[in-house]
Amino acid sequence: MSRDEAPSGVAFWIGAVVGIGIMVFGLRGIFINAGATQPVEFAKWFIGADLLHDLVIAPLVALVGVVVVRLLSRPWRGPVQAGLMATAIVVAVGWAPLHGYGRVTAIGNGTVQPLDYSTAVATVVGVIWALVLVWLAVIAVRRTRPV
Amino acid sequence: MNWPSVLDRRPFRENSFPSKLHDEQVAAILGCALGITFTVCFATGLYSHLAQNPPSWFELPSRPAGLYRVTQGLHVATGIASIPLLAAKLWTVYPKLFSWPPFESAAHLIARISLLPLIGGGLFMLFTGLANINLWYPWQFNFPVTHYWAAWLTMGALVVHIGAKFTTTRRVLSRKVSASAVPSAVDAVDAVDRRRFLATVFGTSALLTLFTVGQTFAPLRKLALLAPRRPDVGPQGFPVNRTARTAGVVETSQASDYRLTVTGRVRNELSLGLDELRALRQHSAVLPIACVEGWSTTQRWTGVRVRDLLAMAGASPDAEVRVESLQQHRSYRTSDLNPWQAHDPDTLLALLVNGEPLALDHGYPLRLIGPNRPGVMQTKWVTRLVVQ
Repeated sequence: MSRDEAPSGVAFWIGAVVGIGIMVFGLRGIFINAGATQPVEFAKWFIGADLLHDLVIAPLVALVGVVVVRLLSRPWRGPVQAGLMATAIVVAVGWAPLHGYGRVTAIGNGTVQPLDYSTAVATVVGVIWALVLVWLAVIAVRRTRPV
Repeated sequence: MNWPSVLDRRPFRENSFPSKLHDEQVAAILGCALGITFTVCFATGLYSHLAQNPPSWFELPSRPAGLYRVTQGLHVATGIASIPLLAAKLWTVYPKLFSWPPFESAAHLIARISLLPLIGGGLFMLFTGLANINLWYPWQFNFPVTHYWAAWLTMGALVVHIGAKFTTTRRVLSRKVSASAVPSAVDAVDAVDRRRFLATVFGTSALLTLFTVGQTFAPLRKLALLAPRRPDVGPQGFPVNRTARTAGVVETSQASDYRLTVTGRVRNELSLGLDELRALRQHSAVLPIACVEGWSTTQRWTGVRVRDLLAMAGASPDAEVRVESLQQHRSYRTSDLNPWQAHDPDTLLALLVNGEPLALDHGYPLRLIGPNRPGVMQTKWVTRLVVQ
């Protein structure tokens, strides 16, 4: 899939004209409201997200993928890769409450991030790996069963 | 080192990414799913923006009472569910970053340039949205304004992308249906891998939803392990966005000389103390508070109807009303009621919640509560109604 297919046709040009129009409207809004949007700061986060993904996160994920492929034979890879992916996303979503960032912003408001998130995130990750173990067990049973 | 020798190396070399999951079908299915979730996020976000910043041509209706709760709950839940979809989509198409030549035509160049705002925008929208519901602001810009305008930029890039991929997606998805007739052994293994991968991605979305949606969907509140709020945790059993201390109203809200005034375009200005407010005809309504950050809770509120106060003051039946809080200098110090909202029988200045006087953090002595309004517009510590 490394070759990107060149677009063409009416659908593309309609999408391009309408889409670029919407983008210009959005960019205009960013600059008209520069006091609130801080265009330089905005660009740092907006483009930074792109670069962080392409240069750091995606290569790291690829590296983990290579390690899993080297360590595990084919039947076992799928469940472990699924578990790793789900765990990474759950930890990413739980990152702010795990670190109590909201509690720092809303000092004295006990209703913000009210749980023990170490236990909460560990519980969700535990559910994920319990499902992975069940999946691995199913594969193991199928492999030992005579055809 | 010349270009050809660079292109012989990874990641530019053919088959640098050997997984069969870097596949057009997977990309098309995830792309369709993201197209739907981003459109839902955009539409519900636009509705929230209009509700909070109504232009002259838009008046937020007061009914159905729980509409904002549904739209904003959907906005946040769909955003969270999009996280695994976007992660998987970016992983699937990552090899295309290294495709060579980088473009083959003007159309191809436009399509590829639009990927910068699409990918940057997708990541930016989900990250800032997730951080905001956690009250985490590691940036200098104003969140609501920037999130709103960045949404237009991202959706514009999405429209360009849909146009660019329309033909390919239609071809790939129709091939998926027709190719299932006589698959080869290799095709069958690839198809199983694809199904497993997609099941993992959509399963992770479902799992995230299960462990967060309880912040607005009460039956699942005990499962809201990853949500930043629990709808049953807080003074009087529900959450608080801004406390009385943060708003700087601890003393003024409990002052013995507290009065509510009704002023502006009225025949008789009113100035009512707490006992006088309690002596007026009381009305109860079961209404949600639906926070823009995605949590919500339904309570039984009791107090004076705003429309009764307007009638006492001799205001016009089509009057708009500005509601002012005791808090000073902060955003959301005031909110506006359009004629529908001001005259809705369930729009109250509440003195009680579930039969008890409001807790200080819930707006004691008096708070606005009305149907189909964003939580930030349910003004707390109300001290004045100004008829416009």
